Amino acid sequence: MASVKIQKKPVDLRPDLTMWKIDGALDSDSIGYIHREFESVLETEQNFLIAEMSGVSVVSSAALGQLMGCKQMLVERGGDLVLTGVNLDVKTKLSAMGATKIFKFYNEMRSAINAYHWEVERKSEKLNLSFPSELQFVPPVRQMVSRISRQKGYSPRDSFRIETIVDEVCNNAVEHGSLRDKKNIDITVTIDPKKIELEVINASDPDQTARLKELSKSVSKKAPEAHLDEKRGRGLALIKMLSNDLDITFSSQGTSVHVTKLREE
Amino acid sequence: MDDKRPYIFKITFPSDLDYIAPVRKFVAETLAVTKFSPKFAYRSEVIVDEICHNAIVHGSRSIDATVEMECSIFPDRFEFHVNDQGGKKEDLDRLKTAVKKADKRADELTEEKEGRGLGLEIVRLLSEEVKMEVGVGNTTRVRVVRKREDL
Repeated sequence: MASVKIQKKPVDLRPDLTMWKIDGALDSDSIGYIHREFESVLETEQNFLIAEMSGVSVVSSAALGQLMGCKQMLVERGGDLVLTGVNLDVKTKLSAMGATKIFKFYNEMRSAINAYHWEVERKSEKLNLSFPSELQFVPPVRQMVSRISRQKGYSPRDSFRIETIVDEVCNNAVEHGSLRDKKNIDITVTIDPKKIELEVINASDPDQTARLKELSKSVSKKAPEAHLDEKRGRGLALIKMLSNDLDITFSSQGTSVHVTKLREE
Repeated sequence: MDDKRPYIFKITFPSDLDYIAPVRKFVAETLAVTKFSPKFAYRSEVIVDEICHNAIVHGSRSIDATVEMECSIFPDRFEFHVNDQGGKKEDLDRLKTAVKKADKRADELTEEKEGRGLGLEIVRLLSEEVKMEVGVGNTTRVRVVRKREDL
């Protein structure tokens, strides 16, 4: 008889998702039990299963193989089987068996649900930052956005390009923004598995409006010219080249630059 | 730096552990460019990590919850507060207990049986001031003040 107990119940934060609360030893005797429980999952339309394993004392290779089979079936349905709460001892042994290359492990239930949002529902996430309008703060800002994109699975190349775009847009916001009222610059980062959108808003200097509109015109051209004989002025051309969409709007409130960058890799 | 006003940063990010590392690094790098020492920046990074982690794990009841952080950098100190959107009553009780424990002297600190709960004690050790306020719906605001060490 299996010395393990599997309780199937809805996830607190997302009642439409199912979790398995597993307690006991996942040994070779538990294979049939896992199989039967999993069949009841397959009968529903669920394709994402979170196994909460804080009460699991051991996982045998046979039970691991059974869980891998369950995962495979869910992956084929566009979902996944992920593990949470695995204690250090069990995780070390699972790691030795190579399970960490197959399963995703999360420390918290919330992280597993966030993974569901990101990987299955492909929902976007948003970060807002307001920072003082000074050039010294641009490197920390651009690196933060780059790190977020890396953390979310974007490639180093994509992240570097995103960092370059943020750098250019924020430098412009500081340099061409209003010097009179020391308003902060606002940046909104909206990221999903396919693209990242940036919106940078700064207060405009009324004296520079004509110049800003001239810059804007150059952006609206299909291929903005990079003035190779000049020391500066290549920023917008670079942003245009690295991004998939660039839009600049002026209002009495300030200047808003909206950039969309699709994930390439 | 303009001594009459602090540099103020406001960040709102999803209640997701993935965001902690980029946010804490941002704070450390911002402190570095405003001429705080690497040691000060690193210790502040540790504190931000701990407070944000608590806000995400214990203070985010809804799935769309966000965490708000406001940092003020003065010439002589760094202040920040983190607001969460409210956790369960048991999470709040645990946090209150942890804050109380953090008031103990450093040499009295002992790890809890389950190996958790030391985070706020470390925050207390590294800060001049740690305050927790509970609002409507168990929303929590944790405020931390650190004074410059090399003045």
